[in-house]
Amino acid sequence: MNLTRVFSKYALVTVMALLSLIPFYILLYLALNTPSRTLFNGFVLFPDFHFANFSQAWKVSKMGAAIGNSLIIAIGGALLIILVSSCAGYAIARHQNKFHAIVFNILLICMMIPAIIITVPLYTLMKSIGGINTHWAMILLMASNGIPFSVFLYASFIKVLPREIEESAIIDGCTPFTAFWRVTFHFLRPVTAAVVILQGLAIWNNYGQAVFFLTSQLMRTIPLAVSIFFQQYGAQWNLMAAAAVIGLAPAVIAFLIFQKYFVKGITAGAVKG
Amino acid sequence: MKILHKLWNNLHKFMALPAIILFGLFFIYPLTQGIGISLTDSNGISQPQFIGFQNFVEFFKDERAKKDVATTVLFALGSAPLLNLFGFVYALVLDRSFKGKSVVRAIIYLPAVISPLIMGYVWYFILQPDRGFLHHVLQNLNLGVLSGNWLGNPKSALIVLILINVWQFVGMTMIIYLAGLQSIPKEMYEACEIDGAGYAKSLWYITIPMLVQSIKINVVTNIIGSLSVFEVIIALTDGGPGYSTESLSIYILRMLYGSFTGYSTAVAMILFAIIIIPVFIFMKFIKTREFEM
Repeated sequence: MNLTRVFSKYALVTVMALLSLIPFYILLYLALNTPSRTLFNGFVLFPDFHFANFSQAWKVSKMGAAIGNSLIIAIGGALLIILVSSCAGYAIARHQNKFHAIVFNILLICMMIPAIIITVPLYTLMKSIGGINTHWAMILLMASNGIPFSVFLYASFIKVLPREIEESAIIDGCTPFTAFWRVTFHFLRPVTAAVVILQGLAIWNNYGQAVFFLTSQLMRTIPLAVSIFFQQYGAQWNLMAAAAVIGLAPAVIAFLIFQKYFVKGITAGAVKG
Repeated sequence: MKILHKLWNNLHKFMALPAIILFGLFFIYPLTQGIGISLTDSNGISQPQFIGFQNFVEFFKDERAKKDVATTVLFALGSAPLLNLFGFVYALVLDRSFKGKSVVRAIIYLPAVISPLIMGYVWYFILQPDRGFLHHVLQNLNLGVLSGNWLGNPKSALIVLILINVWQFVGMTMIIYLAGLQSIPKEMYEACEIDGAGYAKSLWYITIPMLVQSIKINVVTNIIGSLSVFEVIIALTDGGPGYSTESLSIYILRMLYGSFTGYSTAVAMILFAIIIIPVFIFMKFIKTREFEM
């Protein structure tokens, strides 16, 4: 391959990557500048590295509590999703009958329905079970949001797994139920990893439902904390940017660490074969 | 004891139950309740009265609501083709082998990892008419004339929102195309090359036909996703100027905050009806591949 072709290929790829990265750069730039230097004066590409914005934004928007709430709800929700979705996926894939077919089809339809549609009746339900501003109810709600897609991923994956995997365990004295937990579940690791990342991020980013069911200041999750910062402190750009950086950093770090599984999971779930 | 033993041995047949109960309680049950609430004049305070289909009649008389349906559909019709075009081109570029391929793929996917709300705020920094990043860059390049109040103008505001949505989710579309591209046997291209066909021809006669399934899935999921848009709009224009960029989801939220609970639920049911059409098309696509998806 000649040099110009190599160069043009890399130039194109670089432009594409930069397009995705520029907003992140601008956000960091703002977050690291002193309050007196809010924007681009005379094209200085490097910020002042003024880290005080972060500690101040952390204090003002009570980011610590928000990260705590987000972690509890995301971890709790993801664990619950793995537990119930892997079981349901197993039942649907291994015991094909009319009932499971109907359940699977309903889940498929609901996979694409936005949660906003049920906000009002859900509010009534959450109130009657005493779930407003509680971690446990939010975990249950977030888990139920993630069920359709996760069951779909697990069921598709288990369908192509050979049955012999659990059959030998059953011969050795397991019931089908214990065979699933002791044997099959370990083969599901790639899907489980994808579910953790996909659903964990979805719960972490949830705004539309958190805004209704987590109204107390103490219960705020990250998107709520950042949004309230934007609504109340209109003029302090640097602080706002710092708060936004704190808010998105955990998701970016988690994604970069698990990105291999993440991409694999989506690929397996979307266009397999 | 015997019964317990039998139950233990057959426990696997009931393994779907926890998921069904949880999903039934927090999704299916509220959905059925919603149909009931949409037929009342509920305002969240006083006892709701049954009013039949009056909320729906109201909706079709409401100019703002009709405009919001148009905005929502326009947004989806603008987003889906652009997402697919860019997602496809991105996939073609990143399907070739080069150093750092997986890093670039991860970078392009990165925006989709962040909440659209926070990403929307970042774009607000960039696009602010007088203080934004874009304005400063254009000023410094002596191109100040190109800088404008993009978010303040009803026509350009919707276009800006569509472009930001495309920017954020192009990685998602790209990955599905990449998966499709990787499933095309290399021999097909070799045969095509022997026959003397160039890049354009092999793209037209092999790549695109082989990607039909990915195209269908991407188009429909992008349409469904864009029909429920609200976070990016809340962050950037809050539905304005006027109601010009208000989507149906935002209208539902507004009516909810205004205590028009019954009406808001009726609008939610209408959005449900609008989204269910592409969902059924989507299901047909999956059915043909029996789980393969």
